[in-house]
Amino acid sequence: MTTNIAMPMTRVAPVRSRPHPVLRAPFGHGVMIILSLICLLPVYWMIVSSLRPANALLDGAFWPSTITLENYSYALRAIPIGSMLVNTVIVSVAVTAFQLLTGLLAAYAFVRYRFAFDKLIYALMAVTWLTPLQVVMIPNYLLVARLGMLDSLTALILPHFASALAVMLFTQSMRTFPKEVLEAARMDGAGGWRILWEVIVPNLQGMIASLTILIFISTWNEYFWPLLLSRTPANSVIQIGIQMFMTAEGTEWGPLMAASTMASLPILIFYVLLQRQVVQSFMKSGIR
Amino acid sequence: MAHLNLSGLKKSYDGKQVVHGIDMEILEGEFIVIVGPSGCGKSTLLRMIAGLEDISGGELLIDGQCMNDVEPSQRGCAMVFQNYALYPHMTVRQNIGYPLKVARIPKADIQRRVEAVAATLALTDYLDRRPAQLSGGQRQRVAMGRAIVREPGVFLFDEPLSNLDAKLRVDMRIEIRRLHRRLKATSIFVTHDQVEAMTLADRLIVMNGGRIAQIGTPAEVYARPASTFVASFMGAPAMNLFEAATLNERCVKLKNCEDWVTEAGFRLPPAGHGVTVGIRPEDVAISLNGKGLAARIELIEELGGSRVAYCSRGALACAAMLPRDIDFSEDQTVFLNFPASAIHLFDQEGARFQEDKSNNDGNSAQADKSFYTGVKDALAVMTGTE
Repeated sequence: MTTNIAMPMTRVAPVRSRPHPVLRAPFGHGVMIILSLICLLPVYWMIVSSLRPANALLDGAFWPSTITLENYSYALRAIPIGSMLVNTVIVSVAVTAFQLLTGLLAAYAFVRYRFAFDKLIYALMAVTWLTPLQVVMIPNYLLVARLGMLDSLTALILPHFASALAVMLFTQSMRTFPKEVLEAARMDGAGGWRILWEVIVPNLQGMIASLTILIFISTWNEYFWPLLLSRTPANSVIQIGIQMFMTAEGTEWGPLMAASTMASLPILIFYVLLQRQVVQSFMKSGIR
Repeated sequence: MAHLNLSGLKKSYDGKQVVHGIDMEILEGEFIVIVGPSGCGKSTLLRMIAGLEDISGGELLIDGQCMNDVEPSQRGCAMVFQNYALYPHMTVRQNIGYPLKVARIPKADIQRRVEAVAATLALTDYLDRRPAQLSGGQRQRVAMGRAIVREPGVFLFDEPLSNLDAKLRVDMRIEIRRLHRRLKATSIFVTHDQVEAMTLADRLIVMNGGRIAQIGTPAEVYARPASTFVASFMGAPAMNLFEAATLNERCVKLKNCEDWVTEAGFRLPPAGHGVTVGIRPEDVAISLNGKGLAARIELIEELGGSRVAYCSRGALACAAMLPRDIDFSEDQTVFLNFPASAIHLFDQEGARFQEDKSNNDGNSAQADKSFYTGVKDALAVMTGTE
């Protein structure tokens, strides 16, 4: 006779384990590829549309059956793209340089010196970063108009002379800078100015590079403020030039896409050439 | 070489005083070590001398000139920081040469002086490296090079060895001492490490709670600590301190050990006053049999060159260095004897009693003989009827 002994079934909770590395890498890459395609699609569509003939613009094909440069030639004839690009470069470079300079100086003052109401001033400056453009748009416009600077590149640069974001990011970076190094520089005889430029700034390269990219791209893409101020194509930036293809009669999509491609080209080339440095500088500065 | 005079130097933060009127004189070429526990104000005092902290009160004179409001770089001091404080973006050559560059010394001179200093500190092969490519010891040498190259009157060291491993610390300690012997510059070295303090100093300044607890040569401070604080801070293992009371003007008895007395050899207050008896572990005579205070070994600590036994008898705990020629083990009963000549006595506030020299000089043999003994023996020693 055999006796069946019922063994109690013990339920072991399944151990959650991470997927095998062989599976993990392709999965991660798959997700990244999909996200990259989503990001690249509008750029691709812009370039492809700029190469389509006028009658094939809205056919929806992923790849154009006919390729033409007619839109580029029309766009170059319709607006002074060359001078507009030069204007955009001037404005973007000037705004980037001024914002970096004022940001460094202001941050250094906030970090190094104790002065009356310093914390209040810092807080007020931070508030300006949170204030939308629409709120300050009219006062700024009136100010620029009274100064007689409408339709000038100076007016495009002046209101962006300083950036609260740059001041705050530089302040944070400088606060984490080792105090002993600054004290060593003082002991070595360096004054405040020399300490800033010879000791602090060379060690903020990551943050400076990241901010340069952020400020340059956002100024390059700035549309609303130039739209308010610009009156003539000679004093306009490229974003206003693009807008000129949107008329009351309708939008000229082909030339608009061609102008947009030309406007994006300097930034794209800049990004492709300096891709590694751009990523490294963002990683170094802690901006993600 | 510079000569420093600190007169009533005070430091307050938001009305709270942290350094309470430091008075001292530092002679030319002297190597002074300021030692004390964390937060005792030793680094603050050093930074006040350097000019990195404002002086709230008193006067700092360097070579007779008041330096209270003089910029750090104009005081003729060079400082070596705890975390090296090297410029991360500069090479070793640029780091060492930076103070000369700021002082607008001609490039050829900078190069010559930097190379000379690098050779002194064995850094010649690393001149074109950045600090991140150097080891801790090499970084510390670069920091010292940056200080040396200025040829300052005073070297200030703010715990410069505390980030190094034990072996490197010993090597650097010797290196610093050698450098001082060669350069003969006045040096002030701040540390919380008593071994560093004892080995480096010409004179020690022991600080506690923003005040000077004692100034003296390392030997003086160790042999005649001015207070229970100094007694317990200097020396490892720390001095044994026992609560006691005076039996008469020459005799004390331990609080937790009623039947034991010692002839102290100090000028004591009348009977009944509370005192603290101190004895260094290496002065405690420990044996397996014979006379003395019976105690149990709770723990034996092996230090390589020596062994320490932590003994107890009721509430009384005592550390003693063990002789190498006798085998001791934990839980063993041993007998402790305290040579009267090795005993330190402190009052209720912790200040050291003055030794009764007339007594010691006249009866030194007797004092040395008068180990911790029973009441009868002690009385016999005191009355000379032994």
